[in-house]
Amino acid sequence: METAHRPERPSVRVAVELFGSARLAYGRAAVDVAVPARSRRADVARALAGACPELVGVAIREDGADLAPSYTFNLNGNLFVADEPVSLADGDALLLFSSLSGG
Amino acid sequence: MFGYNGRILVVDLSDSSSRWESLDSRVLRDFIGGAGLAAYLLYEFCPAGADPLGPDNPLIFATSPLVGSRLTTSSKFAVAAKSPLTGFIGDSLSSSFLAPELKKTGCDAVVILGRAASPTLLVIDEAGVRFEDAADLAGLGTGDTEAAVKNMLGRGVRVACIGPAGENLVRFASISNDGGRQAGRTGTGAVMGSKNLKAIAVKGGASVPVHAPDALRRIGADLTRRSLGDATEKYRNMGTVANMLVFNRLGSLPTRNFSAATFDGAEGVSGEELRTTHHVRNAHCANCTIGCEQIVVTTDGGKQSRGRMEYESSFALGPLVGVSDANAVIRASHYCDDAGMDTISAGATVAWAMECFEKGILTSEDTGGLDLRFGNADALAAALRLIAERRGIGDLLAGGVRDASRKIGHGSEDWAMHVKGLEMPGYEPRSLKTMALGLAVSTRGACHNRSSAYEADFSAHVDRLAVDERRGKITADGEDFSAVLDSLIWCKFLRKAFDDLYEESAEIYGHVTGWQTSADDLRKAGERINNLRKLFNIREGWTRADDGLPPRALSEALSDAPVKGVRLTRRELDDMIDGYYRARGWTADGLIPDGKLAELGLPLHAFS
Repeated sequence: METAHRPERPSVRVAVELFGSARLAYGRAAVDVAVPARSRRADVARALAGACPELVGVAIREDGADLAPSYTFNLNGNLFVADEPVSLADGDALLLFSSLSGG
Repeated sequence: MFGYNGRILVVDLSDSSSRWESLDSRVLRDFIGGAGLAAYLLYEFCPAGADPLGPDNPLIFATSPLVGSRLTTSSKFAVAAKSPLTGFIGDSLSSSFLAPELKKTGCDAVVILGRAASPTLLVIDEAGVRFEDAADLAGLGTGDTEAAVKNMLGRGVRVACIGPAGENLVRFASISNDGGRQAGRTGTGAVMGSKNLKAIAVKGGASVPVHAPDALRRIGADLTRRSLGDATEKYRNMGTVANMLVFNRLGSLPTRNFSAATFDGAEGVSGEELRTTHHVRNAHCANCTIGCEQIVVTTDGGKQSRGRMEYESSFALGPLVGVSDANAVIRASHYCDDAGMDTISAGATVAWAMECFEKGILTSEDTGGLDLRFGNADALAAALRLIAERRGIGDLLAGGVRDASRKIGHGSEDWAMHVKGLEMPGYEPRSLKTMALGLAVSTRGACHNRSSAYEADFSAHVDRLAVDERRGKITADGEDFSAVLDSLIWCKFLRKAFDDLYEESAEIYGHVTGWQTSADDLRKAGERINNLRKLFNIREGWTRADDGLPPRALSEALSDAPVKGVRLTRRELDDMIDGYYRARGWTADGLIPDGKLAELGLPLHAFS
């Protein structure tokens, strides 16, 4: 039986930089993950959950489907990533930290 | 009456007298308590033009309707006076056991007037008000002072006191309570020192009843549950020191007196470093389920220093002065707490002096041989001690950066990083544009807590590197929100646990007081409190020129990735200030129209 051809979404490798509790839980400051070139926050969170199970229940929801409500991604120190898809390129940095600002 | 005592205690140190005055219920409803009630009492009791360090300046301690309710994070109080740093309204919050004990003495606030002839301990307990000689306490640090007073008066006494910095009228002196918690900003400790008031001891009787205890208990249990969830995760796990590396990576960490926005030594003084190498335990204020306090200890084999650490202290005594050794930052912070000095203003003032030294404006002769360069942790420690004791160069620096730069001149005003005389906190305004506006217009000067405008910048809602029309309303709304938090009083770290702060707080306020109150009533109270603060400042000579940022922030571009080339122009800031005044319904000059005053019922003179 012939299977339908589904073009694969191009994948890029990004560095997820970890801060605060996420860094303490994983024990390292950054991790590389492969994600679709056009990703939503949840896409990156799922990839990250696969690469770093230590982050599940800390910065990633228990079901691994998205970030925990109090966490956020920032792209290259410039753009806070909301629910909409963003374009990512090889070598981009996604900063993962608590969205509870201030103090 | 439920939730309130309905009266204040007025103490006059000049003749050792005291009296009770009843509070109109309209005042309580309009200004709630805490920072709002303190602002109202300051407006009423402080004569226009009063010398901040003179006997006419009232020193006010205000509790709130939620104090004593046992609701999580509600054990807080406000301190207010005309600020010796700014000449405008000064207020600060602190927390823990002192707040419920003060309320149990039967007052909603204490207003302290006059000046004692010699060092005095004010005792407020069930027996009444007493004035004890405090000559033996003179010169003691805050820790020893508190211990001595408790030893003298016995179990259950709660103490607020000043250290040597307050006694020596350091203009950014703080007031300490409950083992080192600080009412830190705006120099209320100097006001206390000017009154020869070394310490206040309180011991109360019965708690103030609430109107609907069963309903309050149910809501309180739910709030406690939420306080242990995602909405407080950062504070519970790492505390505010988690900010350091994030701010550094975003180019928002003020470094070497705001000459840079990233610090190459940030890892060494980061929250992560403190947690892994110096952390002892987390601590809680009274009735708090969050427990944000990080108790840390030095680990370098030198004289051990152990106590609290939070972001603002670690920023001001670390990156701002170029120090990357966590042990040095811990020692400096704990010294400030014990001497009774605001860590932000202390660090910012030393940072200004370091820049003056590196530019040759201050010399070794001026500093008494101190090599006061950025990164010199020993010089930082020595400078802090000189400030607290007002010796040598410390006498100049004890006035804060505005005062010191005016005396030194040579262009040093350009890098005196303050707004209205209050030194700037750890948020780089050029790369946090909403925060820039919040700092510029705050009635108490460069303050991060009275608008929380940074929240928008650390989100996808705005472009933090650009300005736009919305920032005025965001800042005004943030100020009103904060005023309600600070008046009820909730800890700011609980704010995300509410689905709707105004709706939920109105219900809780109703259960506490028995007064039907809506979300709009509270929202309006927040606006009223901020307008009254502004009204106080206008009475003290405020003009539009007082709303702004220091020259450095408006003339120099940032130089480090990811914010290289980012700047904030005077025009951009002026446009945001215009938008803020419009959002407030004020004139283009920032004055409050009569119609707005009437709408808010201001000014209200309940004692006339």
